[in-house]
Amino acid sequence: LMMFLSNRSKEAVLEALASTVNRDPTAYKYQFQDDPYLAPRTSAEFKLFSLSQESGRSAAKYFINSNPKFFTKDFAEPHIPCLMPEKVSLLLEEVSEEALKERISLRKVKAAVDMYDQLLQAGTGVSMETTHDLLDLICLYSDREPVQEGGPETEDVSAEEANRSKGRIRRASDFLKTIWRENNNAERIFNLLPERDTHCYSALIRGMIRHGAYVKAFDMYTDMLNNRMTADVRIFNALISGAPEVREKYNERWDLIAELLNQMNQQKVQPNLLTFNSVLKALRRCGSLARTQALHTLSEMKALGIAPSLASFDHTLAAFYKAGKHSDITLHTDLLQEVMSELAGSSFTCQDPDDGKLWSVCLDNKDIELAYRVQSLVEAGENWRLLGDSHQQTIYYGRFFSLLCMMEHIDVVLKWYRKLIPSLYYPNVQGMRDLLQALDTDSRLDLLPTIWKDIQLLGHANKSELIEELLALMARETHSPEVQESFAVCALDVKSVFNGDRGTLSLEWSTSALCHITSLLLRAKRTQEAWEMLQLFKAKNRVPSEELMNEFLLECHAAGAPDRAVELVQLSAAFCLPATPRLAQQTLKDFDLTDEQR
Amino acid sequence: MAEQREDSAVLKTSEGGAAPQGGVTVEQEVGKPTQVKGDVAKSGKESLLGLLGAMKVEVTNKKKLKNLKAKQRYEPAVKPNPAALESTISMFQKATAESSAHSETLDPDLVAAASAAASTLPNQSQAESELLRQLRRHEAVTEAQRKGDMSNLGVIIADMKVGRRPNRQNARPANQIRFDDDGQGYTHDRSITAELDGVRRRRNLFSGKRLGIFSPTTDEDKTPPPPAKPTIWDVDFANHLVLSTNQMPRNGFEEMIQWTREGKLWQYPVNNEAGLEEEASVPFHEHVFLEKHLEEGFPSQGPVRHFMELVVSGLSKNPYVTVQQKKEHIAWFRDYFQQKTDILQEADVYLN
Repeated sequence: LMMFLSNRSKEAVLEALASTVNRDPTAYKYQFQDDPYLAPRTSAEFKLFSLSQESGRSAAKYFINSNPKFFTKDFAEPHIPCLMPEKVSLLLEEVSEEALKERISLRKVKAAVDMYDQLLQAGTGVSMETTHDLLDLICLYSDREPVQEGGPETEDVSAEEANRSKGRIRRASDFLKTIWRENNNAERIFNLLPERDTHCYSALIRGMIRHGAYVKAFDMYTDMLNNRMTADVRIFNALISGAPEVREKYNERWDLIAELLNQMNQQKVQPNLLTFNSVLKALRRCGSLARTQALHTLSEMKALGIAPSLASFDHTLAAFYKAGKHSDITLHTDLLQEVMSELAGSSFTCQDPDDGKLWSVCLDNKDIELAYRVQSLVEAGENWRLLGDSHQQTIYYGRFFSLLCMMEHIDVVLKWYRKLIPSLYYPNVQGMRDLLQALDTDSRLDLLPTIWKDIQLLGHANKSELIEELLALMARETHSPEVQESFAVCALDVKSVFNGDRGTLSLEWSTSALCHITSLLLRAKRTQEAWEMLQLFKAKNRVPSEELMNEFLLECHAAGAPDRAVELVQLSAAFCLPATPRLAQQTLKDFDLTDEQR
Repeated sequence: MAEQREDSAVLKTSEGGAAPQGGVTVEQEVGKPTQVKGDVAKSGKESLLGLLGAMKVEVTNKKKLKNLKAKQRYEPAVKPNPAALESTISMFQKATAESSAHSETLDPDLVAAASAAASTLPNQSQAESELLRQLRRHEAVTEAQRKGDMSNLGVIIADMKVGRRPNRQNARPANQIRFDDDGQGYTHDRSITAELDGVRRRRNLFSGKRLGIFSPTTDEDKTPPPPAKPTIWDVDFANHLVLSTNQMPRNGFEEMIQWTREGKLWQYPVNNEAGLEEEASVPFHEHVFLEKHLEEGFPSQGPVRHFMELVVSGLSKNPYVTVQQKKEHIAWFRDYFQQKTDILQEADVYLN
């Protein structure tokens, strides 16, 4: 009891303090709060910095572990075990069961297998427990060495790892599709065993399912049944998850799963949460059968008193979701509503690795109320942890934000914008475009220059379609003078980006961009700069549009500068614009030209 | 067999209250024929047939149609074996064979029974149509049964569940309208109906039919399995779980909480004696009063004794060393002086 109390009170003070602190939306993520220069401003920087932090930590650990003789002095009182060097190299060399256990605990597959063979040859028996551990080790890694975690994390990660932008150390074995080789050491040792119990079968079956040898796993299971042995719950979980791989038709798959469940019941093996989650996950591959059976499975879980986890709901919703069909969307949303009512107010711990995917799925429709419910659930307590790594978070917040932009008034959008960005989420180009759309819908185009600053900060200033859209929105209508002035400043800014003045990659000038910038400058009465823009047209081989020429002409007229007008006509002729004659006529009509100018 | 009872209960309540409550007594009849069956493999099909047979009894009013009930009760009762159920099927078959399509005509007896039952209820016509609808559905089910197609059965039963609530269908068109338009105008409507949805539909997620495979264990059955040593699979699974959640601390306090869990940080409120738990059990006098160790193995007088008293007084002031280490220290000296006895004797030190 004392131990329990002391465990609770260990963090109680800190937790109480932590509960007084809320998230600061204007601050960057806590792990980067060091040097303001090193605060990540774009998602690429975020990725880079997290990777480098993790890389540093793992490099330090690597050095400590590989040079333990330099780290023997223990200053800390009380002793801190996790800061001391870990044992990574073998100490015992003799042929004994102890040495075998050591190799197993250090996860050296080949060495362990060799030691086991030596022990067998020497005639020494190996205890059942150690054999179990050995088989578990071999089967988990499919008779290959696990990738050493000691090496420092490099930045040229594989394509799959790059998707998970958070820089956690991931074992390459998680991503490589390891195959279960024929007659590998696991099978060989297994066949040599004089007697095999459930645990041995369990190791083999689970390893086979994990590494893709599904048919073999089922054969082994039949073997087990023929030997009149009962399986345990983990074997069944593995077999259920492998069922869609060994049958082609949907109903055959479901029949197999149902049969496995029945056998489980007959063998008096109690199912657990993972059993049902495997059933639901397998049902995703059973076509239309999934709908009824998924609901039945949920009821079964309820009847047995097993609370469904988030992953259960995720799989169930997936069974009902068929994009496109109208009535199915209704069903899906009804189910979503029910799921949300079921989940409301609870706090969750992760019980299944698939738990985190539910949140994004919930937002995958057009229901803003539902989105708010999901968001409040996510913000409650520690539930935000279940959002997963930063890639998952980006998906979730991306969907949430685009839903907001689509559905809500601009003030609400901006409120959330300030809350989420950039402390939680770096929007991508599509997100910014959604925001621009929202601004346009609610006629808040005066905010465009501020958004432009944010776009630059987020590192999207080199995305041509975004800039085009921004310019088009600014140039579409005339606004009040202050707004026009701010637009003009912004336009000049954009121009410098195009020119590559900032040292960033210069973009290709497009006709529309040139036109928009020029007209913005004109409207703000920055004539000189506008004329410079015209020269740019010539330089970049782009043809100005007719409206632009008209605007210029009007402006010249207003400024009373006939020579400019003539210049304009000449320019227009140089471009071979079809409007040239009309412009010439207009000029003649509106201006008093000297004979020379004619 | 408990789940069959449960199934019948579910199907009964699902009838929307239109069926008379006289059906409650029929549960016993449900129990009897089903209990007699022994074959586990076929129990699903048979229980369903038994249920259906009993269900037909359900819809009749016990007061007015006891004879009808008696006739049907008699038949299941005298058929204790699976083979005999075939005759029940044939009874259904006869009933349906007389009718052309399964959805149109029913056994006239049943229809009469249904109308008689309905006449006792306030809303006669609706009740009667409900009852007849139920009967027709049962016929459909048995049709499917006869053809031996279980998956159809599942679909039909699922449909039965869905079709049961006429008020639900009214809600559907509204839903459809809602999603035709992506605009913002329906947000308010949605909130009201969302609440209603929550209230009305909450039970549907879990109130459906079960797989019916497992049975909930009672507490006696559930002996907790001996806590197994965490295997490498468990470690791997725990690793997966940790990787799929976001463990980064959001502020300094959370970081300190993480460090406390890892053991890198003092626990708050700070206890000076953290890490010294085993020392706490050693009483202080064993540290300080060490003369008793000098009683044996050492002379009681002379330079050796003097030396050892100094050693003991030094040790008693030493807070860094455990009692065991102090005893070992003294024991080392004891052995040392034992070994050097002859030299000491030569030097005329008084040994006692």
